[in-house]
Amino acid sequence: MLSLVSALHRTSRVFVWIGGILILGSAFLVTVEVVLRKVANYSIGGADELSGYAFAVATSLGFAYALFERAHIRVDALLVILPRGVRIALSFVGLGLLIGFAAVIGWQAWSLVGDTLQHGSRSITPMRTPLAIPQIPWLLGWGFFVLCGIVLFVAALWTLIKGDPAQTERMIGVKTLDEQIKDETV
Amino acid sequence: MLTKTLFILLGLIAAAVPVAAALGWLGLSMQYLESPMPLHRAIGDMVWQTGKDFLLVAIPMFIMLGEILLRSGIAAKMYDGMIKWLGWLPGGLMHANTGSCALFAATSGSSVATAATIGTVAIPQIAERRYNERLFLGTVAAGGTLGILIPPSINLILYGLLTDTSVPELYLAGFIPGFLLAALFMVTVIVLCILRPGWGGVRVTHTWAERIAVLPALLPPIGIFVVVVGSIYAGLATPTEAAALGVVAALVLAWSNGTLSLTMLRDAIEGTMRTTSMIMLIILAAIFLNFVLSVIGLTQALADFVTGLGWSPMQTMLMLILILLVIGCFMETLSMLLTTAPLIAPIVIALGFDPVWFGILLMVLLETALITPPIGINLYVVQGVRERGELSDVMIGAAPFVVTMIAMIGLLLVFPDIALWLPGLFY
Repeated sequence: MLSLVSALHRTSRVFVWIGGILILGSAFLVTVEVVLRKVANYSIGGADELSGYAFAVATSLGFAYALFERAHIRVDALLVILPRGVRIALSFVGLGLLIGFAAVIGWQAWSLVGDTLQHGSRSITPMRTPLAIPQIPWLLGWGFFVLCGIVLFVAALWTLIKGDPAQTERMIGVKTLDEQIKDETV
Repeated sequence: MLTKTLFILLGLIAAAVPVAAALGWLGLSMQYLESPMPLHRAIGDMVWQTGKDFLLVAIPMFIMLGEILLRSGIAAKMYDGMIKWLGWLPGGLMHANTGSCALFAATSGSSVATAATIGTVAIPQIAERRYNERLFLGTVAAGGTLGILIPPSINLILYGLLTDTSVPELYLAGFIPGFLLAALFMVTVIVLCILRPGWGGVRVTHTWAERIAVLPALLPPIGIFVVVVGSIYAGLATPTEAAALGVVAALVLAWSNGTLSLTMLRDAIEGTMRTTSMIMLIILAAIFLNFVLSVIGLTQALADFVTGLGWSPMQTMLMLILILLVIGCFMETLSMLLTTAPLIAPIVIALGFDPVWFGILLMVLLETALITPPIGINLYVVQGVRERGELSDVMIGAAPFVVTMIAMIGLLLVFPDIALWLPGLFY
């Protein structure tokens, strides 16, 4: 169970690299566009549209990684003063609601992509991009997020049944301050 | 309807449900309770349209710019440079803290990263030069908040998105208040150190030759700031395009500093995407919630309720400020912005206040939220970097700066032109 979690965590990291490369690529594309527009009064066109797609795809590919890294913000003002049992129970509730919400979006995204495929929709821009190209990896990100959430939920439950609540908190609890600082500095 | 919404929201937030899920489920339950239409069917299209919005592409770009700068090793050099320029003032290095934080925050945009990075370089100096420890820690915690207001700020982009306000105009408006607040922080330190000469530690003076010699360390962050903000103000680039220019400039800077490597890039990418995905999920949920709340008429009901109280606009504004200060004690800034701006901005605009001006005022309130106990993330970060003593030291040290921020809010109320003069020249 735990090895499945770490395998998914590693996969989510690969997705994040892909997303990051898309964002870096967009930065260069947009820079070229701005410089050419100013210097040569020439526009390559579509840099904004393409980087928008790159952004949507990169973001959805990153949700699962943020989940494993416990980066999805929770307001823990009250949580920290509650006993551990309640804290862990609320962590499960929170994770369940997060995944549930993601599933609602994923399900609606699924029907959106279904429509796109059925109608062969294209963007209403000069590029006339077939929308299926950016939307399919985007949908994949949402699906992967929901899948990882379910696996994480079950695995965390598993550690709790095995009698290791400390491990459960490391998996789905709120990050400690030291962990947060370590993330934000070099 | 108002009480129901508030009750569900507070319940979900207090139960530490991830903020994105709390906003999303609030939207779904209000739709279920109040609307005959299946509004959730719009969510797929809404998430796609918002998710590819070119304005929001600025978010990962600015985060990546900060992540690259953080890893390019400029912070220590920059701090050293600031000491040479500002160390002669009463309060010595504490001004270098404020100055470095302002500059670093301006380019990086993350208050946690700013407080942690500058804190790591600065805190060892307390004992060495016999500063009042509390005040010294306070300058780092308060200085770290400046990034929210000084452009380019991600929070201003989000405010612009939620309230349909022009982001370049907000950036112009944030410029003077941002640097004015940094200056007021320094005045606070000077006044305190004149009143209590023992707090100021050993002053350091440097010759002009030394100051000129450290300029190369200060130029890179200023250069990036000029590229990003200058290209927007000069009308060469939109905020997103400017952010892209900033990313490329930061890469060039890291390369010339010899710190650019594949490992460094990988770390920067992981940090960027972790933060971006977290922020975007909250934004997508907030956009959906916003849509539901306006369809069921709650936004209007709230505005009617407030105007129905019969208070003067200024009385209402003061009450809103008070409420936001209290919320800021308990909520983290991003969540606070995304939950309050869509509800409060329409009221404020209906009362005749300028949306750009209110955006700037709200940013100062968010900055205050970062250093007001019990929940003020910068307090915890500074304490975490310090690794000894009590958290209360940081809270007490930051208190004078909370007063300064409230004074800044007062200034904005009395002289709205602090924010509106600069955009007025362009628009």
